[in-house]
Amino acid sequence: MNQQIFEKVSVITSYNHEKNQAIPYKIRWRLREYFIKKLSYHHKMRQGRDLFHIFHVTDGNLDFKLHFNTEDLTWILEEVSDGNTD
Amino acid sequence: MEIPINKAPPTVMHIDLNSCFATIEQQAHPGLRGKPLVIAAYPTPGGCILAPSIEAKKLGIKTGMRVREAQVIYPKIIVRDPDPVLVRDVHKKFRKICEDYSPYIVPKSIDEVVMNFAGVPAFKKGLKNIGMEIKKRFRSEIGEWISCNVGISTNRFLAKLAASLHKPDGLDIIDYQNLKSIYSNIKLTDLNGINIRFEARLNSAGISNPLEFFLAKESVLRKQIFKSIVGHYWYLRLRGYEVDDFESYRKSFGQDYALAKKTNDINELKKIIMKLCEKMGRRLRASGNCAYGIHLGLVYSDWSFWHHGHKFKCPAFTTSELFSKIMIIFNRQTVRKIVSKVAISCFELKPLSDITLSLFENDVEKRRKVSIAVDKINDRYGEYVIAPAIIIDMKNTILDRIAFGKI
Repeated sequence: MNQQIFEKVSVITSYNHEKNQAIPYKIRWRLREYFIKKLSYHHKMRQGRDLFHIFHVTDGNLDFKLHFNTEDLTWILEEVSDGNTD
Repeated sequence: MEIPINKAPPTVMHIDLNSCFATIEQQAHPGLRGKPLVIAAYPTPGGCILAPSIEAKKLGIKTGMRVREAQVIYPKIIVRDPDPVLVRDVHKKFRKICEDYSPYIVPKSIDEVVMNFAGVPAFKKGLKNIGMEIKKRFRSEIGEWISCNVGISTNRFLAKLAASLHKPDGLDIIDYQNLKSIYSNIKLTDLNGINIRFEARLNSAGISNPLEFFLAKESVLRKQIFKSIVGHYWYLRLRGYEVDDFESYRKSFGQDYALAKKTNDINELKKIIMKLCEKMGRRLRASGNCAYGIHLGLVYSDWSFWHHGHKFKCPAFTTSELFSKIMIIFNRQTVRKIVSKVAISCFELKPLSDITLSLFENDVEKRRKVSIAVDKINDRYGEYVIAPAIIIDMKNTILDRIAFGKI
């Protein structure tokens, strides 16, 4: 099931200076915490002059699509998917 | 005239991402990996499948099928919308990796590039080694689920054929040594550019497989089968000579939209046409051209089709100029039926700088400048920050899509 969420979430990120890579480490959404196991894909997107970083991450059970707005430094949980049929 | 097989060393490489849209979706969503998945233009039962995953292809689900047909084959099929931003990002990374090996790169579509290694220092490494290295880099730099097919040959046609021989994740070389054996193991429709109609034409001349096609005389192909220079091109193409290395120029811009809710309400249709004009106009203006020709096509709910094109004396450049010209054509319909699809295009493009100014309309230049300024604002602050008032309430109608063969 794939669900569009578009809610602000709390995110802790970790930065690895050797790989020069920032990855969300933990998400807090609707009073539950999800520990991120893997970054599946990261890309950037522009809407006008606003730059967004989009992180596709997984905690092993659920896949999350996170939106980081570099203009106002907010994290939006855009989508959650469990990989099953809708 | 008989020409031998091209015995030159292969210098053309064709790279094709496997099940592009679906594989990229599986890369971004690990929960979808290993499962039959289709990417459809719309996730509704009538939505057209743009890309089935490798697992779905194994079940017999093909590109172009409807979602409901795929659901008949496999009821638990996962259906997803395309994510153009994600796919374009993968394309950029894919292209960047290829650029490390050759400067002569031509993207053929969002998931295909052709590289030429003639006279390129990397050629010394060997194209097979380069192909293997590119495959590895795709996995490490784009994502571990991304695989591609690599085809190597002396021309683009044979390189593409080589890339289609062992899917997924294959690497094949076609040269003068194995050319005949490859032709004897495939069907005519496996050749790029030959579909059922050309197949029927070849069959009627007694050619039933690619080997016979290859062995056919040039005069037979040119005079009897294709009845044009196309026959000569096929003769060369099949022997490994390059005939497809030409640059094509854009002659038109177009947009279309299949209506979610079919209607004959003029106000609703005006809104859709305006939004299509805005999208088309943005592309037209970004190219620095204006258009003398306008075309409108309408598909009605009874599947009948009406279309009309017209060349105007004054060129269209701004969205409102395009819109007003399209509405002139729209009003030429003799019967107003319920519309299910709208397609607009503009043609006869000329650079804006070459246009003669009108003696009678004073503010044309001003309106065009305003239009360019509005585009700049939208580029900076986001699409539709400034937009025609008529489309203000339809932000999510007419979504961004990647057209076949485009980027």
